[in-house]
Amino acid sequence: MSLVQAILLGLLGGIGIWDSRVGGIWMLDRPLVLGPIVGLILGDFKTGIIVGGSLELIMMGVVGIGSATPPDTVSGTILATAFSIVSKLDVSAAVALALPIATLGQLVGIFVRTANGYFVHMADKAAENADFSGIDKALWGGAILFFVSYFLLVFLGAFLGSSAISAFVKMIPQFVTDGLNAASGMLPALGIAILMQLLFDKKNAAFFFIGWAMTSIFSVNTVGAAVVGTAIAYTIYQYTISNKNNNNTIDTMSDDLGGEL
Amino acid sequence: MENKEINNQESIMTPDVYKKTFWRTFPLQACFCYERMQNVGFAYMMIPALKKLYKDKKDISEALKRHLVIFNTTPAIVSFIAGAAIAMEEKFKKAKDNGEEVDEESINAVKAALMGPLAGIGDSFFWGTFRIIGAGIGTSLAAKGSILGAILFLLIYNIPHLIVRYFGLKIGYKSGVVFLASMNNGGIVAVLTEVAKILGLIVVGSMCASMVTITTPFVFELNGTKIVLQEIFDGIINGILPLGFTFIIYALLEKGLKSTTLLWGILILGIVLSFLGIL
Repeated sequence: MSLVQAILLGLLGGIGIWDSRVGGIWMLDRPLVLGPIVGLILGDFKTGIIVGGSLELIMMGVVGIGSATPPDTVSGTILATAFSIVSKLDVSAAVALALPIATLGQLVGIFVRTANGYFVHMADKAAENADFSGIDKALWGGAILFFVSYFLLVFLGAFLGSSAISAFVKMIPQFVTDGLNAASGMLPALGIAILMQLLFDKKNAAFFFIGWAMTSIFSVNTVGAAVVGTAIAYTIYQYTISNKNNNNTIDTMSDDLGGEL
Repeated sequence: MENKEINNQESIMTPDVYKKTFWRTFPLQACFCYERMQNVGFAYMMIPALKKLYKDKKDISEALKRHLVIFNTTPAIVSFIAGAAIAMEEKFKKAKDNGEEVDEESINAVKAALMGPLAGIGDSFFWGTFRIIGAGIGTSLAAKGSILGAILFLLIYNIPHLIVRYFGLKIGYKSGVVFLASMNNGGIVAVLTEVAKILGLIVVGSMCASMVTITTPFVFELNGTKIVLQEIFDGIINGILPLGFTFIIYALLEKGLKSTTLLWGILILGIVLSFLGIL
């Protein structure tokens, strides 16, 4: 990997972390999007797309909801995809690399989110002095710290790590590689289970199985399932709303759904 | 009610302020820290309106301090809360100019009351529905090596994202708190959230079938006949192993196990079971 490529990957790391910091989350930090860009930088677009798609499945459940800092998908994706292109690894090895890197990235994330306390106090001082531009400076100070930290992490990882990593990966015995292959088929279950925590309850459990049966038994692909799902969701919406309106004219006290929030 | 009051007098929300505020809703988490989370981002977002509203140094200082308290919500829907907060700032400033007593701290009470429920709605729509549908479609195309996967993923997520972000500011400002209350009374938000969950679940169910792959090469002999374990599972129903495994993981998460623990656990399980010839 050349110095220029390592710098470009580092910049991609900074831009990737900025998506959720400065961009307001456009999903540019997801493996599905970062993978192909890494592929472009390293001259193997197609491998980038495929590795990015596989990593997306595994990291699908890794999301920053609430205040918790999740494993870092940005550095994990960029470095693992880069190593797998440079060292010609297969997808399961890329998966195995992405996880420890993402954990390292998580530590960097925790560091920045703690260090940003400095800029928060800078903002407090600006507020004390009725200084609008001081707030701007504090905000961009935090933003720059995020960018620089992830630039350094990805740049150094790419520049120093690629030969060491490929030597290391060549040392991994065959049974571990086979095991990782098996595990990479199982890992999407974790992402799906995390999503189920967000969506699944007793009342709507049947819909999970409708989606599952469509694909598993009738071989409908995910696009097809989404289309059928939209039709079902639309129908239920219309029926519930018109039912509600009917109930409201008969009995204005009926408010069973409104009580949920 | 609130709506009319604002329209009757000169509004501070000129097209210029609207545009500036809209752009300032994006870097909400640029200075994220554990202590007060998105607070600097929120104050940053309020600046165009506050600049227009307050000229006195003491007022500015108090307003900035007010918006530097802890804040955290789903970034995609934050413009709604910004709109409501700007409307309240404006209303209170005018009341104060007329010599009325106002309690500005209630602005923060309203912000805090909005950020939780709106984050709930935002998370189930943006994280649980749009992202999942996009990723489901995107990953299946990416597996074939097509860049269309990433492009569709970005479109499916960002079209609703930008619509909500742009018009959320308008709706939040025009009817602020009243809007949520009226939507909530009609139950529309609750119905929409429920319907979004249903759509999300159907896609997630489909993904469970297409993306979790577990097969066993295990063969054993019973009374001299070779029995292939996988054929027994396939005989019950196609894809029963991935489904069962997903539910085991779900049950473990519900029990309170951390996702990182499960992640490493699955890796180790894969290696051990494959070593034993079961996977």
